[in-house]
Amino acid sequence: MKLPLKIQNLKKNYGDLWAVNDVSFEIQPGEVVGLLGPNGAGKTSLISTIVTVEAPTSGTVEVFGHDVQKNARAAKVMTGCVPQEAVHHPYFTIEELLYFQAGYYGVASDHDHIHYLLDRLALLPQRHKKLKQLSGGMKRRFLIAKALVHKPKLLLLDEPTAGVDVELRTSLWDFVQTLRDSGVSVLLTTHYLEEAEALCDRVLVINKGKIKLTGEPQEIIKKLTEREVVMTLKEPLPHLTHPYLVEQSGHKMVFRFSASRSIGELISELPLEMHGIQDLIIREGKLEHALQHVLEDGE
Amino acid sequence: MSTLAWSPFWTLFKREIHRTLRVIYETIAAPLVSSLLYFLIFGVSLGKQIQNVDGVTYFAFLIPGLVTMGALKSAFDNSSGLIVVAKFCNELEDYRIVPISAIQMSWASGLASTVRAFIVGGITFFVGFLFYYYTEGVWLIPEHPFLFLFFLFMGSLAFAHLGLGLSMIATNYEQVSAINTFILLPLIYLGGIFFSLDQLPPFWRNVSELNPFLYIVSGVRYGLLGIGDGPLMLSFVITFVAWALSYLFSIYSLKTGSYRQWG
Repeated sequence: MKLPLKIQNLKKNYGDLWAVNDVSFEIQPGEVVGLLGPNGAGKTSLISTIVTVEAPTSGTVEVFGHDVQKNARAAKVMTGCVPQEAVHHPYFTIEELLYFQAGYYGVASDHDHIHYLLDRLALLPQRHKKLKQLSGGMKRRFLIAKALVHKPKLLLLDEPTAGVDVELRTSLWDFVQTLRDSGVSVLLTTHYLEEAEALCDRVLVINKGKIKLTGEPQEIIKKLTEREVVMTLKEPLPHLTHPYLVEQSGHKMVFRFSASRSIGELISELPLEMHGIQDLIIREGKLEHALQHVLEDGE
Repeated sequence: MSTLAWSPFWTLFKREIHRTLRVIYETIAAPLVSSLLYFLIFGVSLGKQIQNVDGVTYFAFLIPGLVTMGALKSAFDNSSGLIVVAKFCNELEDYRIVPISAIQMSWASGLASTVRAFIVGGITFFVGFLFYYYTEGVWLIPEHPFLFLFFLFMGSLAFAHLGLGLSMIATNYEQVSAINTFILLPLIYLGGIFFSLDQLPPFWRNVSELNPFLYIVSGVRYGLLGIGDGPLMLSFVITFVAWALSYLFSIYSLKTGSYRQWG
């Protein structure tokens, strides 16, 4: 089966700077993959190479089996891309721009789909306006409509929710879920780790052009973060010595340990019975902490 | 797949025609005013004091030159404008993302720019046509209409491709402006619009003979008046070679030029 995206040993340099340095990964059909990393990590360079805005220094990128350099047209038909910034077209309305975009893919006669996108992304009342007349959130929605006008099977989202309000962000997440359910594979770059946790089946952590870590968000959290357990006891215990104990005062004890260990294991190591526990608060680690951990290790 | 093969070309062609219509003032009013002024100053006013050139009045001699200048300059500006605006707005990356080839871009932009060139050339001709009747008392009927349109078409297409290619390899707007001022304008103004080669001293005559624009003007002039600088076949060959080189240059620039936004 041809994979939606297959990248092998991809390198891209600008002089001495290696923006992408020997990156390899694949995306499975219907999978949502998050590309995480700080500014300048190489996320946008990677996207630019997939959509042929930049030519790779070496390595290959295949979209549904089509090499993007050798068989660009076939690869482009399967790919939709939402760039970071909206382009200000001074001459045309957003509806006209969608029709032109559809025309480049030979689907300008699909009025129903263009109308569906305008409606689904709440742009119908704005369709006769020019892009500069729209708010930041509307521009972002327009970029998504534009990327989906030819019904691509692989969608690349470069910081799709940067600078938009919470309500719009949530509605865009819902839309991405709908796309995933319809079989579209998604590669998204984001700074919002909450977004990656909510949307992604898998995340790739990239820094200085290299993939530092890959895995499911929950797996990474479990592996690289600490879980905090706050235990309130019915009767206070005498002073304890335990490797995970970070605080003990009166009835309250705070433990911090790897998320890969279970709470049952912890309790079994303590000199108390289950009925001696009055309350238990568990604070799981965040992907943000895992990311920090990876990036600090990579320095 | 066959629909897709032609669709990007037609889409960009239609888009460019729409763009021309959106700036209808620039397209029609500006050449109308400038051709009126040229004809008033050089034709009606100064032209009366200049003797006949190659057997025709100076005013008649001037018309094909001004038509060619207006058309070719407009073709250059239009295709160059597509890239310049796109590089300012960061729209050029979009053309890399969609499935349009360099050949399709070059032809779509070239032909749409030629349509605009014909609008501008047509307006200039119409103004000259009316002035000619006013000053000479007879209508100016093209001697060889097919040749007149052929040379105007090939010249416009060549300048459209040239504008596209030069704007693609330019790394900032100042370079485009410098090309316009130091290369394009001297080529046009020293290309036999206002004078015949026979009127020049030998040195400048030799220099002018290296200017391809001269042969395009000469071809258009032959089509309109039945006279030209040098053999018609030479105009054919040089106009065709100028177009072919411009076209190849535009393809090269589209394939190797930067699609990044100007900083």
